[in-house]
Amino acid sequence: MADESSIQNNRLQSQLIGKWWMPAIALSLGGLYLAMQFSSPEGAGRESFFNVAHPWSVYVFMASLVSLLVYGLVRHATLWRLGKDTPESVFANLPHRLKNVFRLGVAQDKVRRDRYAAVMHWSISSSIIVLTLVTAQVAIEDDTPLNFLHGPYYLFFSFYGDLFGLIGLIGVGMAMWRRYFVDFSRIRWDERPEDHLIIVGLGLVLLSGFFVEAFRIEVTELTQYPDWAKWSFVSYVLANFFEVFAMNDNQILWSHSAMWWTHIILAFSWLALIVFTRLDHLFFAPINAFLLRTDSPGRLSTIPNIEEQEIFGVGYIQDFSWKQLFELDACVRCGRCTDVCPANIAGQPLSPMHLIQDLKGHLASVGPSIQKIGNEGGDTRSVSPISMVGEVIHDETLWACRTCGACVQECPVMIEHVPTIVDMRRFLVMDEARLPQTAQAALQNIEMRGHPWSGTALERTTWMDGLGDVTIFDGTQDYLYWVGCSGSLVERNLPITKAVFRLLKEAGSSFGVLGQEETCNGDPARRLGNEYLYQILAEQLIGTFKEKNVQKVITNCPHCFNTFKNEYPQFDGHFEVFHHTEFLNSQLQSGALKVQHELPETVTYHDSCYLGRINGVYDAPRQILDFVPGANVQEMQRNMSKGLCCGAGGGNMWQEEVGERRVNHVRSEEAIATGASKVISNCPFCIQMFEDGVPAMHPEEVGRIQPFDVAEILELAVFGNQDNLEEEITEV
Amino acid sequence: MHFVVCAKQIPDPETPPSAFKIDESTNTVVPAQGFQPVLSQYDGIAAEAALQIKEALGDEAKITVLSVGAESAQAAIKQVLAMGADEGVLLQDDAFEGGDSHTTAKVLAAAISNLGDVDAIFCGRQAADWDVGQVGLLVAEALGWPAAILAKGVEISDGSMKTTRVMADGFETVSQALPAVVTVSNEFGEPRYPKLQQIMQAAKKTVTTMTHDQLGLDPSEVGSSGARLKLEKLYIPQSDSQVEIIDGETPEEQATNLIAKLVADKVL
Repeated sequence: MADESSIQNNRLQSQLIGKWWMPAIALSLGGLYLAMQFSSPEGAGRESFFNVAHPWSVYVFMASLVSLLVYGLVRHATLWRLGKDTPESVFANLPHRLKNVFRLGVAQDKVRRDRYAAVMHWSISSSIIVLTLVTAQVAIEDDTPLNFLHGPYYLFFSFYGDLFGLIGLIGVGMAMWRRYFVDFSRIRWDERPEDHLIIVGLGLVLLSGFFVEAFRIEVTELTQYPDWAKWSFVSYVLANFFEVFAMNDNQILWSHSAMWWTHIILAFSWLALIVFTRLDHLFFAPINAFLLRTDSPGRLSTIPNIEEQEIFGVGYIQDFSWKQLFELDACVRCGRCTDVCPANIAGQPLSPMHLIQDLKGHLASVGPSIQKIGNEGGDTRSVSPISMVGEVIHDETLWACRTCGACVQECPVMIEHVPTIVDMRRFLVMDEARLPQTAQAALQNIEMRGHPWSGTALERTTWMDGLGDVTIFDGTQDYLYWVGCSGSLVERNLPITKAVFRLLKEAGSSFGVLGQEETCNGDPARRLGNEYLYQILAEQLIGTFKEKNVQKVITNCPHCFNTFKNEYPQFDGHFEVFHHTEFLNSQLQSGALKVQHELPETVTYHDSCYLGRINGVYDAPRQILDFVPGANVQEMQRNMSKGLCCGAGGGNMWQEEVGERRVNHVRSEEAIATGASKVISNCPFCIQMFEDGVPAMHPEEVGRIQPFDVAEILELAVFGNQDNLEEEITEV
Repeated sequence: MHFVVCAKQIPDPETPPSAFKIDESTNTVVPAQGFQPVLSQYDGIAAEAALQIKEALGDEAKITVLSVGAESAQAAIKQVLAMGADEGVLLQDDAFEGGDSHTTAKVLAAAISNLGDVDAIFCGRQAADWDVGQVGLLVAEALGWPAAILAKGVEISDGSMKTTRVMADGFETVSQALPAVVTVSNEFGEPRYPKLQQIMQAAKKTVTTMTHDQLGLDPSEVGSSGARLKLEKLYIPQSDSQVEIIDGETPEEQATNLIAKLVADKVL
């Protein structure tokens, strides 16, 4: 049984925090109702610019701020415009994009993935939004014929103004607590003076606002209209406190005036930080939510007409798309991406946050010259004195990426790191031909032999030994069972392939395989940056599929699954694709497959990145495990969308790892920590990584956790633990 | 400067043993289904050596790839062209078939004489199919040029070639006047990964094909008619191994039983 509680907790948590606006609305409506019930509020109201000598000066500040914002925008935009067009229009799929703006920008879905930050950030952002509206209402009241700040609404207005001021201060307090009083490392990985300025500045703006109000109340309401004053509940308390100083009215009025100017100057100065600091995410985050791709995160962009290009991938900052350049400015250095990056966790030389910041710095330093040279019609590629790929971003940083998508998943401002990294890999591989020896060997093996497994002694048909008749797909079967290179050429994976085969047969499915005709679908080539090789393989295989009238595919491997499902449509290859866990689960649900044998064990389940995070298939494999009688699933600390990569993704299966630890050792440790007897996954690469990592972390053979595929577990549950199963594994 | 790289296309050495078949009636290897022939790995290294020297000379050199083989060997030539070689010539003729190292060297030497102005010839230390390792030396012999074999480092300057050779007990550095032949060993390093731009340029290049007529060779002196070596029998050796698990409760007991067994079998 899956560990319901932890999964439920995850979901409940995101749902509860997701509905932050519900309590806010309830609170506000309650306040409004109470204000309406208030006995004699008719006269309630105030002079907008009470005791202020030159209220028009606010508009001077306002105009300066707006000019500054426009200046900032133009300055940024000239740099973004150095980039190329986006591969797809950013206005395509508009409803989806608007939904993203609401969900990811306004409702801050991604921010909420960290509970503490969710409360803190909502407190601050909602306070800024509400208080801006409060201020705007004062301006409207004063400078337009509209007069509405009186009576019950005035009292309600006083109430929520104070409420959100207080909420803002709570947020600032939480932020300061995390920045100054606890060892919260990720926000300090790239800490800059502006970070203190933003947080302390906001605190002072809010405090000074309360002080202004308190001084005013002390003179105009506290004794005259104490019932009104109570609605400004924070300032009311503060005003009462000021009474201990026993100032005369003139002193209070002077203090009020001084505090008003302090507040105004602080507030506008703080808002000006938007232009100069990461506070610009106020605008950039929702805009980036709009620009966020609307197709699958598992799809990399194509290079159209690749044979006619002169430069492949991105080796120069101006070769990124303008959206990729825009993203650099959206980054707030929160460190969430780096915090979840498997390479970083293992002490390897990749931090997605620093990568984005380094590119941003590079853009700022060479961008203006590139623009100038470009305008003069010069060669913009010779502008930068250092090479972006190699010197600004080191080769080993790019190679350490697993393309697992954890950074993209976590980024609260919707930056897509993975396509940017792969674009630079493309430059390294296709333009510079500079890549790790082992990755080169894998690519050359794909070129020469159609699979990445250099040195394998197996054939594509070896797994069929002992299985009796294996139908070769000829278009008359419903499904093509796609075994894949890893499923047929790596010895460890043969039992998985056989298990899926036997289960499909048991379920009475109509399916066939391609056998010798299978060839690499190009995924490793694409992820390693050889788009050219990928396109050749993809077009070839799509041709084969069409020729054989393939409509539905069941894959062994989540990487093949992702490629067929998300990437082949780019080349007009449209197939209905299932991962074996999805298909086998449907067969269990329909009763075509029946489990008959118990497996009284505690197991843990590892989400592969390309089935889980990237394609959102979390439930099917867990539901299969639910069907297995006796199996008790103990989830790992990092699971579902927060799951950790096994270390093999992004072509790292064929690379030597550089750094303190290996990713598979880290993940194996986490699996071992559950105390389970089996770690179950759905991907041949994950299985291989565990087969390697578990013995390293648990040298003692007794009591060692065993890596299993979901299909292997289901095979045991359906057919029982037959000794001859073991013997069927071909001796090579 | 003009360099020649000799490249051979061979059956894929990574063909799984289960797919490797021999036709004992004709003494030939049956091409394994689904496995394309490849460039012999040592020849790729020889090409790398030539390319590095070309780069060191500031690209003031031309590299021509020569291959004796079937039509399919075009792929091997293209692979070296993609790495950066300039021209390719395929020496293709039914008359060249069934030859040995001697006749292959004769064809290559004729082609090199035909090219005319060649300064250095780079061969792999051996072809990775038959592993004979004679063609480089025999080409030198046919041309009357000096040769150095098993090089892990090659430099060319001032009309001479300096080679660091791999010896059984160390390294040896030799100099020889150009024109000269060198066979390059795997210790030299890995061949480069071609840039896509070069792959596409190579794809557009045409590989010249030459036959015995154009090379001025008599069919009787090349191919099977000219071969001095006769293949008597080609077969896959049968190797039987029997495994016996030695009993014993403890490692000590197992060791004792093992020794007893070895003594009984007269191994010890």
